[in-house]
Amino acid sequence: MAIHERSLVEPERILRKERLVIDGIDVSGDWNLIILPRTIEDYDLSFYDEVVAQPEGKTIVNCYQCSYCTASCPVHNYWDERYNPRHFIYLARLGLIDELQKRADVMWRCVSCHKCTHRCPKGVLVEEVLKAILRVMAKRGLIEEYPSKKFDKFFMDVVYEYGRIEDGELLFGWIEKQGYQVVKDPILKKPIPFMGGMPEWLKQLAVKPIKNMNIGFLLLNAKHMLFHPRTKNWNRFKQVLRKVMEEEGALTH
Amino acid sequence: MAIALHLRKPPMGGIGKKVAYYPGCSLEGAARAYDVSTRIVAKELGLELDYLEDYNCCGAMETKNVSFWGTMLLNARNMSLARKQGHNVIVAPCNGCSFSLQRAEYFLETDRKVFERVNELLKEGGVDPIDEIPYTYHILEWFYHEAGPEKVKERTKKPLKGLKVANYYGCLYTRPHYYARTYSHIGGQDEEARPSKRDTADDDEHPYYMEALLEAAGATNVEFEPMHTQCCGGPHSLSDEQVSEKFVMMILQTAKRNGADIIATECPLCHASLEMYRHRLMMKGVPDVDVPAAYFTQLLGIAFGYSAGDVKLKDNLSDPIPVLKRLGLV
Repeated sequence: MAIHERSLVEPERILRKERLVIDGIDVSGDWNLIILPRTIEDYDLSFYDEVVAQPEGKTIVNCYQCSYCTASCPVHNYWDERYNPRHFIYLARLGLIDELQKRADVMWRCVSCHKCTHRCPKGVLVEEVLKAILRVMAKRGLIEEYPSKKFDKFFMDVVYEYGRIEDGELLFGWIEKQGYQVVKDPILKKPIPFMGGMPEWLKQLAVKPIKNMNIGFLLLNAKHMLFHPRTKNWNRFKQVLRKVMEEEGALTH
Repeated sequence: MAIALHLRKPPMGGIGKKVAYYPGCSLEGAARAYDVSTRIVAKELGLELDYLEDYNCCGAMETKNVSFWGTMLLNARNMSLARKQGHNVIVAPCNGCSFSLQRAEYFLETDRKVFERVNELLKEGGVDPIDEIPYTYHILEWFYHEAGPEKVKERTKKPLKGLKVANYYGCLYTRPHYYARTYSHIGGQDEEARPSKRDTADDDEHPYYMEALLEAAGATNVEFEPMHTQCCGGPHSLSDEQVSEKFVMMILQTAKRNGADIIATECPLCHASLEMYRHRLMMKGVPDVDVPAAYFTQLLGIAFGYSAGDVKLKDNLSDPIPVLKRLGLV
């Protein structure tokens, strides 16, 4: 007998026997595959309540576990079978926190393509619900710092500081955070794109506009790297932004 | 609890010929080619872009993941600026920007509490509160509805003859239907709620606006389903390299194997992701990934008789010039 979504069942709970005799009756054949039952005592229903309390998380109540989201998900289909949006919603609902924690290494992999949200027949904003689940997990300290969150915070800080982002700063700043040695000029402390221990692909890519003699492009981006594009009158707005984000615990500094 | 289905009625009298133009941060930096070519195409098609003065970042996916109210505020500020300039419609050329604005529109429209709190916070931050929530459209939808293939055909001086294009729309142009106003074939919407003949948004699973415009300009479209709306790695293109690399490889290989000369894009982030990972995949020696990418506005600009320098083709790191040169287009 086939087991639906077999990867969700731990291998040690799947029992398969060539010959199986129960109470003197030979049940081999169709019934030779058994999933051993388990008892769950450790669950926390307040987790679900907390997800529902998030502004984007409240549509989780509509989910009827049809798995349309999982079937659409490119991360599930092309990357890792363990990434399963339906299952995450299921676990969050039952409050099985330790099960969620076991999947913490894949849970952040969502690429925000919104296929799940788009196709959900019940109007669950799946992508947003998953992000709400992640946020609640992070708030409770159930999930460690993961790469995409690090990047999100890094991005957020730039937006918060200047009101606008700048591609060069994002790229080189992130490369630096990855542990590469980025050479900076001594006065303004801005990264110099062609020096330091950057990955080879980036070096080659950065040299391309020079090879093409694309001077306008170089000047524009150099200008932006030196003088960060800013939104005018940002300071007053920044205070309000700071207030709401501190409420959510979104600010790092 | 009621299902959060929502389909806002399109603005009265269409999107309009003059709209607020929200370029987004990317278009004023690394993706300036898209900005320049967009302005060229808009001018040629008789449409007017009113630059949104002093805008701020939409927050993209990254801010959305961290802070709900932060994203609402960032986008509400832009909406307020658009209202101040007297516009009811904002047009954004980036999938991420149009998504963020449309998402804010959705939450402001459906949740009264969000609307009131955001307005209070805006006042506190020294920005006018929003009286009426403006609509946001992707620039491709605007071109299609206010100019359309006929106008493109009329303006074409140098048809893109023989150019085989794979049209890459990316994720957030059509999805999710709550924000992008596309008609969902699945989501339980009733037929009556559907905008008439999809007059403001593209088809959700089979978008065709870019194909129609480029075909009118003389190009040949290759079969590119379902990769035309497949994710390129998006917000994870820097933070999760393995996944992004695989997704981009799938997109590029499908395009190449279906015979495309070039991939037409309509989002600066998808474009950057495709170009960056194309370069890395080629360095690794992965087969069938050497398809260059160009913004659809660049291709339209060339069809309208502009030179490669006018539409800044040199800015594209994937180098589409040799392909176009071979066909005698530049």
